[in-house]
This record gives sequence, C-alpha cells and structure tokens, in this order.
Amino acid sequence: MIVVNCPHCGPRNSSDLRPCGEVTTRPDPATASLSEWRTYLYLRENPAGWVTETWYCRSGCRRYFTIERNTATNETRSSEAS
Amino acid sequence: MPTSIPRGYVRMPDIEFQSPISHGPISTPDGSVSIEDETSTTKVVVRAAAGTAAAADLGVPYGQSRLRADGTLVCGTRPDEWTLFAAAGRAAEVIAPVDTDGFVNAIDITHGRAMMRVSGPKATALLAKVCNIDLADDMTPDGAVFSGSVAKVTCDLLRADRAGEASYLISCERSFGSYLFAALADASTEFGASLPAGLSIH
Amino acid sequence: MNPNRLPVRPGEVIDRETSLAFTWNGRPHTGHRGDTIASALAADGVDVFARSMKYKRRRGIMTADHWDPNLFVQVGDEPNVRAGSRRLVAGMEVSAQNVWPNLRFDIGAANQLVGRFLSSGFYYKTFMRPKWLWHHLYQKVLRKFAPGGRIHWETSTHGAYDKRYAHPDVLVAGGGPAGMGAAIAAAEAGASVMLVEHEPDLGGHLRWGDADDLAVLADLAAAVESHPGIEVLVDSTVTGRYDHNWIAVMQRSHEIAPERLIKARAGSLVVAPGLIERPYVFAGNDTPGVMLSGAVRRLINLWAVRPGTRAVVLSANPEGDAAIADLEAAGVEIVAALDARAGEDIVEVEGRGRVGNVVLGDGRTVSADLVVIGTGWTAPTSLLNMAGDRPVYDPTAARYFPNQLPDDVLATGGITGNGTTAELVEHGRATGTLAANRALRNRHDRRSSTARARSPEGPIPESLHDTRASLARTPHPECYRSSSHGMVDFSEDVSSKDLVQASREGFDSIELMKRYTTVTMGPSQGKLETVNAAAVLAETRSMDMVDIGTTVWRPPFAPISLGALAGRIFEPIRRSALQDWHEDHGASPLLAGQWVRPDHYGDPVAEARNVRENVGIIDVTPLGKLDLRGPDVTKLLELVYVNRWQKLDVGRVRYGTMVAEDGVVSDDGVTGRLGEDHYLMTTTSSGAGAIWEMLEDYLQTYRPDWNVHVTAVTGGLTSINVAGPRCRELLLRLVEGVDLSPDAFPYFHVRRGTVAGVPDCIIWRIGFTGELSYEVHVPSGHALHVWESLLANGEDLGIMPFGVESQRILRLEKGHYIVGQDTDGLTKAPSAGLGGLVKLDKPDTLGLPELRAAYARTDLPILVAIQTDDPEVVPMEADQIVDGDSNRILGRITSSRMSPTLGRSVCLGQVDPSLAAAGSKVTILLIDGRRILGTVQEHHAHVDPEGVRQNA
Repeated sequence: MIVVNCPHCGPRNSSDLRPCGEVTTRPDPATASLSEWRTYLYLRENPAGWVTETWYCRSGCRRYFTIERNTATNETRSSEAS
Repeated sequence: MPTSIPRGYVRMPDIEFQSPISHGPISTPDGSVSIEDETSTTKVVVRAAAGTAAAADLGVPYGQSRLRADGTLVCGTRPDEWTLFAAAGRAAEVIAPVDTDGFVNAIDITHGRAMMRVSGPKATALLAKVCNIDLADDMTPDGAVFSGSVAKVTCDLLRADRAGEASYLISCERSFGSYLFAALADASTEFGASLPAGLSIH
Repeated sequence: MNPNRLPVRPGEVIDRETSLAFTWNGRPHTGHRGDTIASALAADGVDVFARSMKYKRRRGIMTADHWDPNLFVQVGDEPNVRAGSRRLVAGMEVSAQNVWPNLRFDIGAANQLVGRFLSSGFYYKTFMRPKWLWHHLYQKVLRKFAPGGRIHWETSTHGAYDKRYAHPDVLVAGGGPAGMGAAIAAAEAGASVMLVEHEPDLGGHLRWGDADDLAVLADLAAAVESHPGIEVLVDSTVTGRYDHNWIAVMQRSHEIAPERLIKARAGSLVVAPGLIERPYVFAGNDTPGVMLSGAVRRLINLWAVRPGTRAVVLSANPEGDAAIADLEAAGVEIVAALDARAGEDIVEVEGRGRVGNVVLGDGRTVSADLVVIGTGWTAPTSLLNMAGDRPVYDPTAARYFPNQLPDDVLATGGITGNGTTAELVEHGRATGTLAANRALRNRHDRRSSTARARSPEGPIPESLHDTRASLARTPHPECYRSSSHGMVDFSEDVSSKDLVQASREGFDSIELMKRYTTVTMGPSQGKLETVNAAAVLAETRSMDMVDIGTTVWRPPFAPISLGALAGRIFEPIRRSALQDWHEDHGASPLLAGQWVRPDHYGDPVAEARNVRENVGIIDVTPLGKLDLRGPDVTKLLELVYVNRWQKLDVGRVRYGTMVAEDGVVSDDGVTGRLGEDHYLMTTTSSGAGAIWEMLEDYLQTYRPDWNVHVTAVTGGLTSINVAGPRCRELLLRLVEGVDLSPDAFPYFHVRRGTVAGVPDCIIWRIGFTGELSYEVHVPSGHALHVWESLLANGEDLGIMPFGVESQRILRLEKGHYIVGQDTDGLTKAPSAGLGGLVKLDKPDTLGLPELRAAYARTDLPILVAIQTDDPEVVPMEADQIVDGDSNRILGRITSSRMSPTLGRSVCLGQVDPSLAAAGSKVTILLIDGRRILGTVQEHHAHVDPEGVRQNA
C-alpha cells in the first residue's frame, strides 16, 4: 500500500485513490485517424522508472491530479518537480 | 387503509422527516464513546469558484471549519466546495444569503446525506478501527474537515470536539446511512457498547 | 504434583499460588498461571507433543518459545495453537494434532520405514499419474496425512476477527533490551511509539538471564510501560513491511478478537528481533529430549521446569555455556560438556520417545535423556529483506548481517552485532533517537495545512547524523552439520540427506531446492532452517556460504489466520428510504450491486399484469441521479452522449446513450432540463459512480474551462415510478401545481411540483415499462409519506407495488435493453441497435473515431427481438444462437421471459448481421441440448411497438 501525496488532501493510502495511468493527450476526435486514436487508447510507455501519472482522489477531494512516480521504487514527487 | 378515497394526504408541517437510521443513540456504560444520529441537521453544499464573493464570504479553505455568528457551521469540504450545517429545517435561510454572483451554486443536500456523531474519549480509537486516516492532533485537530473511507463508505468528516472531548461528525450518502451506523455500532462493542437487536453488520 | 517442577527460581514467571486444571488428550493435568501449555506439560513429565508431518516421528520441545516447530496443538476448537508461547488457561482442552490415529500408536510412523519413498520431490514424482487416481486415491490418502488441526465450524465459539489502523511515528519490532531502549529513546524524543513483542512478555533474552539481566529488564519494562507515548503490544508479531512503511502487526493479546490485524503506517521502523537460536544437524536431532540451549534456559528459569536428568551439552558460545550453569543449578547431571569451539561434536542420538544414548564425536556412547545444543544463531532479517535489504553472510561470525537499509528502516540489537546488555540498550537508544528524528522530520513535512492553520509552526527538527557505534561481530565457529545426516526442516520433515539428493538431481540453487524439497516452506518459514539448508548446499557444492545466498524472505514473517486477514465484515449495503417498507410488506430482497431492492412481493407476474391493467408503483431509487448546474452543461451532454442535446428546452427530458472512448456502450438514461442552467441526469444503477467520476474527469482534465457543477443526488431523491393506464388518475389526486393533462404534460417532459403535500418533487413522464407512467423524485426524508399516500389513494384504482422482476418482464415486453445485460464489454454502439440516435457529425463526442469505424462495418452483431416459434419455451439468458445443426455460434439470447401480456415467450438477443432482418429464423441451442427455432421481430418492442400506451 503505497502513499500518494494528493496536492489537496496530503499523503493518503493509495487505496483511497484510483490510479488512472500515464498522462495522455486526447487527440481531436474530429480529425484523428483511427490509428492515432487507438494509440491514445491503448499504447503506454510503461517505463521502469519515472512516469507522470494521473490519480483520482476518490475518497478525498475528488480531484484528478498528476504526480510523478518511479515505477521501480514507488518513490513519488510532485509533477512540477520535473 | 380507507376504502373510500379522500384526498388522502396531510400537509407538510405534519410530515415527519425520516432518517435512514432507525436506532437511537448507542453508548458505552462508562461513557467512553457514543454514536448519535444527526441526519436531520440542515446540510447545504455551496460550490463556488475561486475569486467569487461567495467563496470569500465563506472564508475557510478546504480542510478547515468555522462557526458563523448565525450558528451555521461552515466546513471547507473540498477545493471550491463548502458544506454548511445548521439546525433542522433551515435550508432556505442558509441558502438565501449565498452570493450567487459568478459561478456559484448552493444545493440543499439535507435529504441526500446521512449524518452521525461519534463522541467521547474513545471516539478516535473507534474511528481508527474503520478509517485509515491519521487522526492525531497535528493531522486532524479540532475543527479539521476531511474525507475518507469509513468502513468502506466514502464519508465527509468534521472533528468538532465537545467539552474538550473528541467528537466527529460523519456524513455519508443517505442510502449508506443505516449500514454505516451499524458498522460504527459494531466497532463500539470493543469499548463496551451492547447492540440492540436488529443492529448488525454480520 | 508436577514431577519436573523445580524449587522457586529467581526469575520465574509462574504464580505457584494458582492451580489451573486442563486436559491433554483427555487426561487431567494442572499448571500455574504464567505457564505456557508446553511448560505445564513438561512440568508434568510429557515428552512427546506431536508427530512430524511426513514421517510421523515423535516430536518434543525444541525451542520452548513461539517459534517451536514441534509444539502446534489443538485447543478446543482452535487448531495450530503454539504451545510454546500460548499461556495456560484453566479449563483448556488441549490435544495433539496431526496424529492419526493417536499420539502413542501412529500408523503413519511406518512411513519411517519407507522413508526413501517420501524423499525429495516425492509428491511431484508420485502423485503425477495416473491422473484419475488423484481424485480416487491420492487426495484421500494425502488428506489423512495432512498436517494441521481441525476446525469445528458448526460448534465454534471462536469470535469474529478484528482490524484497526495505526500511525505511529516509530514502530519497534522486538521488545528485548535493544528494542525497549529504542522505544524509550524515541518516545523521549517526542515520537509516538508502537512497541511490538511476539512473546507474551517484554524482555527478550533478559527474561531467562541472571540477576543483573532481570534488574535491567525490570527497569526497562517499567520505563516502557509508564511512558504515555509508547503503546506496548505483547503476544503480537510484525508480519510484514511493505512500501512506505506500511506494516502489518498481528495482535493476539486483545480480548476483542482471537487475532487482530493492525495496519500501521509508521514513520520509522526499528527492527530489533534479536537472534534466533539455530538447530544443529545430526542423526536423531529431532528426538524428544534434544533441545536448544535457549529452550532449557527458558524451561528452568521462567517456568522452573527441569528439562531432564542427565544431559549432554554441545556448546559453541557463552549462551550455551550459561545453559550448563543453569542445568547444574537445576540439579541436572552433566554427562558430557562438549566444546564445539574445540572441535568436540555429537554424531548421533538414539531413542524413540526420548533421548537414550548419545554417540559423541570421539566415538564414545553415553547414556542421557537430554541433549542441549548451543551451536549458533540465525539473524531473522526478514523485515529487512522486505525493505529491500540483501543481508550479507559473515563467515567469521557465522551469521548474516544487515547491508543497506532505506532511511526509514533501522536495525538494532543482536541482529546487528554482539554486546553486553548495556551495549545493546545503548545501541537501541541511539537507534530510537535516530528513528524518532527521521520520523518527526517526516511528520513535520506531512503536518496538515489545517493543523498548521490552527497552531503555530514549530521548527523542523534538525537532521541527526547516524553516529551510532556498531556492535561488535564476535567470532563464532560455523557449526551447521555434524558428520551424520539429520533433520534440517522440522516443520516439513526435510533432512540434510534430502537436500544432498536434490542438489545431485540438479536442484542446486537455494531457490530451486526450496521448491523441490519444500525446505523452509512450513510454519517456521525458514527461521530455524534456512541457514542450515544453505550450509548443506554449500557443503555439497563445495561453495562458500556467501555465494549460496538464502531464499528470499517474504511476508508474512509468521503465519496469519485467514480470518484475521478478512477481519470484520464490511460490506456496505445501500437502502432506499422505502426499503424498510418493502421488507415489512413481504418483499424478497434482491442484491443489485450494493443496493438491496425488492425483487417482488410474492407474485411478480401478477404485479406485471396489474401495471398493464391498472396502476403499479416501483421504487427505482438506485437509478443514478446527478444534479448538473452551470452554463456549460449542454456542452458536457454533447460530449458524453452519442445523441444531440443542444435543442432541449426547459421542461423537456431526453433519452441518451453513452459510449466510452473505445466506442463500447457504457451507460444510458434520461436527462431532463429543470432550468436554464440546471439539469438532472439519470444513469444506470450500477453505472452511477463510474459516470460521476467520468464526468469529473472530463470537466477537470479535458475541459477545465467549462463551468459545470456535478452533485450526486441519488440517495437524496427517492424515485418512484408510477405506471399503468390509471396512473394519471391517481396522480391527479395527489399532485399540486402541475397540469397533468396529456397536452400540458406530454411524454418526455419534466415538471416540478408538490406530491402528497411534499414540495420540491420532480416529476417526469417517461417509462421503462411501456405504459403511461410518471417518475416522481421525492426528497428522501419525505419519501415514505409519498409512497404510502400513493397506495392509500390508489386503492380503488387497483394499485399494487411491483418489484424489480416485474419491471424486467415489462421492459422486455417493451423491448428496452439493459446496458450490461443486453450489451457487454464489446458491444459497440451499432450493435445496440441505436440506429439514428448516434450522431457522427458532432465535432466532439466520446469515442467518435471508434463510432465512425464501427458504423462503417457490416459484420458487427446486432441486438434484435426474438420470439420462439414454440411460445411455451423460454430459452435461458446466454443460450447460444447457432448455425443450424452445427455448433458455429451466430449470437446469443441476452434477455428472456414468459410474457404475461402476450402469453408467450419473448427474448432479446445479439445476432450475426445475416440474421438481423425481420423474419429471419434463428436456431437456439438450449442448455439441455435441444435446438429450437425462433423468429427475429421487426421491432424491439414485443408489446405496443407504436407506443400508444405510453403516449396516452
């Protein structure tokens, strides 16, 4: 059970939040090709190292926020630190 | 039921507000902890964008609370969101003075939230059985407002000590109310409470 | 009375004034308060406590503490009780477990004779084939021999388990001199401390030490127990350390539950478990009467039990030497005192129920009933490994030492080195101070903004450097195995010979060997046997211990009851304001997600008929309801629904379907416009939470420029659907302030008004049943009044409440699909038969590229209404639609019921597009193997496809 630092609620157990995965950018659906769209839907970098993630503070402030997490060590830092 | 049909209803003043919690207060013989239903409390949520007059008037940031001169308890329940508690039946009076200039909404959620109070010297120990949040004084002091999972139900909590003793107001979505009350009552058995028949989560 | 009880010992923990009666295998015994089950039985002369798991060898006391692998017993209905640490209670019914048919005569002991068949990999080699024998024979045989006690779940008085959370600044694992020193220093530094000791008393090895040790122990324990900042948990075990110091503590010492799992988030973890004495491998080393030096010292000094009469002692260290002194003081004759440092050794012990003869390294055989082993120590580094450390073996000291620890995990005491009691306490204190400093600095950072606002900020504590003087690594001979072979794993009955064989068969890495032989896999979890196993492997392969490594220590450090992991039952249940009424009126409860709902009130078919003929009311509160306010709600609706929302006037309601970004149908419902910037959205019951989170996601991360406030009002509005041809007549009696005439309040419109005297109700004219119907949303605190008013006022109209089952029948007759039942996780919008609802020319809507792609395809299945040609046959939901006599699947039935209105079976189903045209014949494969024909219908609606009834 890792600790995730919510910028509003402070350190919380990860079970209080929902991990939403790596930050992605939604292409313009009016112009995106199917291939671009599916890249957005399904393809992630998944590095063993630092990744910028979105989390949803489900039991707390109900805010979506991004943090950086090292997937190898579970160390976290604010996403502004990069 | 009558067989002929009168226009068979009574007027509002006679219609009782029904709480989802059908049990009276639970307490331990030594007074170490008590659990009371406070669902009838007027609850109004105000959503106000930063920079609006309403936000400034409410005056407390997320995580803090204050008692207004008119007896309304103002809680910063989320960023740009406040919950106002007042005596039963005062929703209109609480909503009316909210300055709606800008992107501001005030909604009566009295019917939508069950609320209970856990008090006493063992209140914090009781909550620690069902809530993973650090309830130490330097994390959640008297007056602190926070949200978290209580017995697996997402709740808004306010620490509002009474006479120097720890006391928490816990509110949840109304439909969870009877379950949450039973879960808290179940947790209170460690401190000596005995449960009335029919109040069980097992 | 107790033949082996000694005169009063200075440090004894028994209360001789008390006499606790208990039974052992049905025979009466007595002990004193303070005795463990094992000490009381040993005092009464019991030698044999158990049979070993595989060879069914007799087993007696070996370590006389919590970790003793031979002392698992049954107490009443509680299996696997550790007799080495469980305190005796009057009236206990204790029995040996794992002994079929009994402890004295055990048929399984014959396994010793065929031991070679049970050697390494025996299970893998034997129970493989023939496969059919597994069920008929192997399973039954293995069950008979399976270790463990019995549970009596029918008669158990075993209470519920329990859990709690804790947030100590410093959690100290181990209550010996170093652990207590750490706890005191940390508390003195201002930290909140949780001190966890697995034995029932604090003190560690001081408890069975000399007068000086006992004096130090008394002082430390008094300081610990009197400090308000220290919570002491004895008879409790730290079973795991996880990321960010999430620590599991198993508490056995609280009356609330047999075991309680404490989930602690600690600022710092201090690991102070001391050392665990290691057995020595030689022939007959598991014979009752072979004990470790700590065991005899505990028996003599804590419980005043004489462990034998004639002893052979093999010692390699001061603790072993101290055992000789204790034995002499207890009047035990020392037959031979062997010094392992000088190369003296034991080769073999003979004897079955008890040690008889001992063959020494010099070839002599002596007669004795007790063999005492003090040949070395194992560092229980488990918690350190869980924190990422890989301890390193030091051959000079013959044990492992911590290597690299994260800042929030610190080690102290015997696990880090040797020292006098004063040195151990001092190292503990220095560690506690450091741990507190790190935790308090961390706490300062975490201190909530609320707390900061309430009280002035103190300065952050200055960071302390780690200036602790290391404890010495006293040289110790490497004593692992004698010249003979003996038991390595006492829990799993794995001998050194088995390990040698496994190595020869190629399982010669420690991890492979573990899995092949099951060494270290029993309840001891490697505490006693890991290092000996590594040593045997090193010897066999002529390698250094350093290069062999050890198996990975994983949580839990000690076995945990599954019940303790489950804890108390927290299954949140949601109830509408009317659920009590439903139950009082005979409703069968239906669990739908977290909601408990009325399935029916006795006769769902009658309830459904009544809706078609008269009027019925149903509680549909679980419908997700979201209050949407703000100038940009329309934009949000355009984004999340597949259809258009721009031209929805105030007072209108519209049906909408949602798809996810992958084009799969995710939810549906109606949304009504209550005011210029005010909407009420409904979602499916099960989708309510997810849709709310989804809306917030897009509002916060995709279009933060849009002004929309979303408020969940599901439980706040109790939703009552009033349906049937006479429903308008009923509502006319109760509704004020709303013109209910068909022209003033047509289908798919919404009004606000007073119902049965309750103001602020929302009424919209929609219907899932296909009948004329209104959905009334009532503030929940007044819902029961409205419900009862409807029933009272509708009596002459034939009103009946109806439940979820009747609603399912009615909606299926009308052909309304249910997301998640008639669609699944692959159903793209065209397959749901949405037809013209989906607008592909919108600039932005969820999943738009996938929708475009899906609508360009011609091969997607399509949802259709199906009627079986035989009207009496109702296929089961999920029955397959196949291609004629073949088993090629062309679709499936997704919903099916007998229609009371039509008197025939009606279905919805997903079919291959080749079968979607009205009139197509489909073959339905029933579960009993029969194939029946059905016909695809023109409309989804079986009843009233023109909508005459709902539009009335």
